[in-house]
Amino acid sequence: MKKVIALVLALTVCGSLVLGCQNTTKTSVTDTTAAGPATTKATTAETTAAAGPAKITVVTSYGGDDGNRANYETAVAAYEKATGNTVNDASGTSNEEWKAKIMADFETGAEPDVLFYFNGADANDLVNNKKVVSIDTIRAAYPDFASNMKDDLIPASPADGQKYAVPVNGYWEALYVNKSVLEACGVKVPGADYTWTQFLTDCETIKAKGYTPIACSLAEVPHYWFEYSIFNHDTVATHATLPASSTDTAGKAWVAGLNDIKTLFDKGYFPTNTLTSTDAETFQLMADNKAAFAIDGSWKIGWFQENAADINDFTVTYVPAQNERKATDLIGGLSMGYYITEKAWNDPAKREACVKFVEAMTKDDVVSLFGATAVTALKNGTTAPADADSLTIAALAMTKSATGVAPAVQDKLNQTARTELFSGSIKNIVTGSLDTAKAIDAALAIKE
Amino acid sequence: MNSVIYKRKTPLLVLLIPAFLFMTLFLYYPFVMNIFNSFTKITGLGTSGEGYNTPWYANYVHLLDDPLMRTSLKNTLLLMLATLVFQVGIALLLALMVDSIRKGTQFFRTVYFFPIVISATALGLLFNLIFLYNGGMINQLLEKLGSGAIDWKDGTHYLFTMFFPVMWQYVGFYFVILVTGLNNISRDIYEAAEIDGASGLGRIRYITLPLLRNVLCVCLTLAITGALKVFDLPWIMMGSGMPLDKSWLTGTYMYHQTFSMGDVDYGSTIGIVIVVLGVVVSQIANRIFKEKDY
Repeated sequence: MKKVIALVLALTVCGSLVLGCQNTTKTSVTDTTAAGPATTKATTAETTAAAGPAKITVVTSYGGDDGNRANYETAVAAYEKATGNTVNDASGTSNEEWKAKIMADFETGAEPDVLFYFNGADANDLVNNKKVVSIDTIRAAYPDFASNMKDDLIPASPADGQKYAVPVNGYWEALYVNKSVLEACGVKVPGADYTWTQFLTDCETIKAKGYTPIACSLAEVPHYWFEYSIFNHDTVATHATLPASSTDTAGKAWVAGLNDIKTLFDKGYFPTNTLTSTDAETFQLMADNKAAFAIDGSWKIGWFQENAADINDFTVTYVPAQNERKATDLIGGLSMGYYITEKAWNDPAKREACVKFVEAMTKDDVVSLFGATAVTALKNGTTAPADADSLTIAALAMTKSATGVAPAVQDKLNQTARTELFSGSIKNIVTGSLDTAKAIDAALAIKE
Repeated sequence: MNSVIYKRKTPLLVLLIPAFLFMTLFLYYPFVMNIFNSFTKITGLGTSGEGYNTPWYANYVHLLDDPLMRTSLKNTLLLMLATLVFQVGIALLLALMVDSIRKGTQFFRTVYFFPIVISATALGLLFNLIFLYNGGMINQLLEKLGSGAIDWKDGTHYLFTMFFPVMWQYVGFYFVILVTGLNNISRDIYEAAEIDGASGLGRIRYITLPLLRNVLCVCLTLAITGALKVFDLPWIMMGSGMPLDKSWLTGTYMYHQTFSMGDVDYGSTIGIVIVVLGVVVSQIANRIFKEKDY
């Protein structure tokens, strides 16, 4: 009897292990790896096969302290209410680790159903490995999908030239200014003719008054200063050119730009703890009226609206220029959008829910809510809110008077090269322990 | 009747099979694959290898000339030493003091053990706020006292800032083990020593410590091997090896190479170093702190 009980117990435990390891998703119509072009033949009948509410997993960069977090939550809640579907939100903060985690999720088969992600070289692996569905494929089953967007402005993947991500709004990068700090230091708010020389003079004055001139964590997010420092040594037409080495024309611009950052560091214009602080810590200096300038993207407006004691203390303007670049030349573009993954597309229970989710998140009013000041692909353009605050109005004025827009060149680097440069090299370049040209060549040598 | 099940070992062996299969599938097979992966070129987690490295042992050569690997090994060994001295040392002192009091023993046990139940992520955020440069708890106190703020993560203070929370978190763990060990020492021995005129320190030196030796040895072995696994708190507090790549530990550096840099094969190589180091160190610890029969 004991023997029988022991045998039954052992079989039960073994059985539960085997069952636990099985894939419980029995609704998938085809194997993901085998799907490929077959999905283009999807029929409307298939798409409507799903009945009842679905639960979809969504990953975006609207996590953490993102300025649009509240808008995102509102839009998701509206979608859930309208469709009865539920969203399992796994959003995070956009940084190199977040990007690496997303890639690992895809590679291990744990990808989300909908992904809000970059549309440049970052997504090449997703496209090459057929992990995401093209807009054309979706339109074959849902002809009105993304019909409110100008097709010409939807960025194509550099991997195969097809369009995959539906953009919400584009971005610009510019100089956020704490006006109350400038006033206390007797420094004028920079305008469209702001030069690098004037900027250095202003920083010296601000530092002498006991304030931090530049809020930036060189240990964590030197990305924006990197982009504009290089931009100051090339032009709108040439900025997006990835150098082959530190000695060609583009490479020399990179060396000169990074050396400018080193100069700013040597002069003590960054926070005392810029090499040991996080981006959130240094930005808090802006909110606490302890720092004067910070370069960041259009998405940061929401952060100021949430964290500033008085939004009127802040404005956004052009980054100081030198050489051929005009101050009114901006870094910007449409760099992110919503992808539907092959895995979700092949699941009749989720396909419809994912399409509706992307449509809900890219409606005209939602796009305007997320960034009325940003570059947009909407046919009707964005609508600025009637009660726009002074920071939003300043951003609108700035983008309206821009003389040129160049995309961020760092988007052309692969993940490993970018991590090497931003997490590994820049901090050592500014302290002088790493030669600038060698650091650039090392990063450029990383091809995969 | 009861003895039958103990005489017949077959049912017990059958019951051991599921756990054995589980361990084989989720521990030993990945470990063997990890050794294989360290010789191949893998550029993304989950992707298959793109052939062998040239030469096939390239990652092991790279280990020797990688200055950050040396930093991580040095810091891990330092952490091990700090763990021995501060975690077990402080736990022993606290255990001796709590064992000497008549009331409140249970209260102190709970208080000192409490940090163990808090997640390392929460602790990391807590200590980040304590050590924050602008407006952190310690710097606010220093400024109130008229002293300037200190960057607790700079080149001078990073080891203290990284080690202190780790020490603090696990003192309670060893404290509970040691208190339990102290409770097992018969009170009669202390009473006899007291009658013979032994002082308080004398009782600790000649009765408590010798009788606590085996428990202490277990604690020291656990502390040494545990130090090799420390990852979460340092990663949250000192992510990316700040300052200037000085604070890497073997665990955090392996994670960085694998997940941030996408260099999975080199990450696998570091993983093997961690396992080898763990086996060697635990063997040495077992020999040094060998239990004795009394």
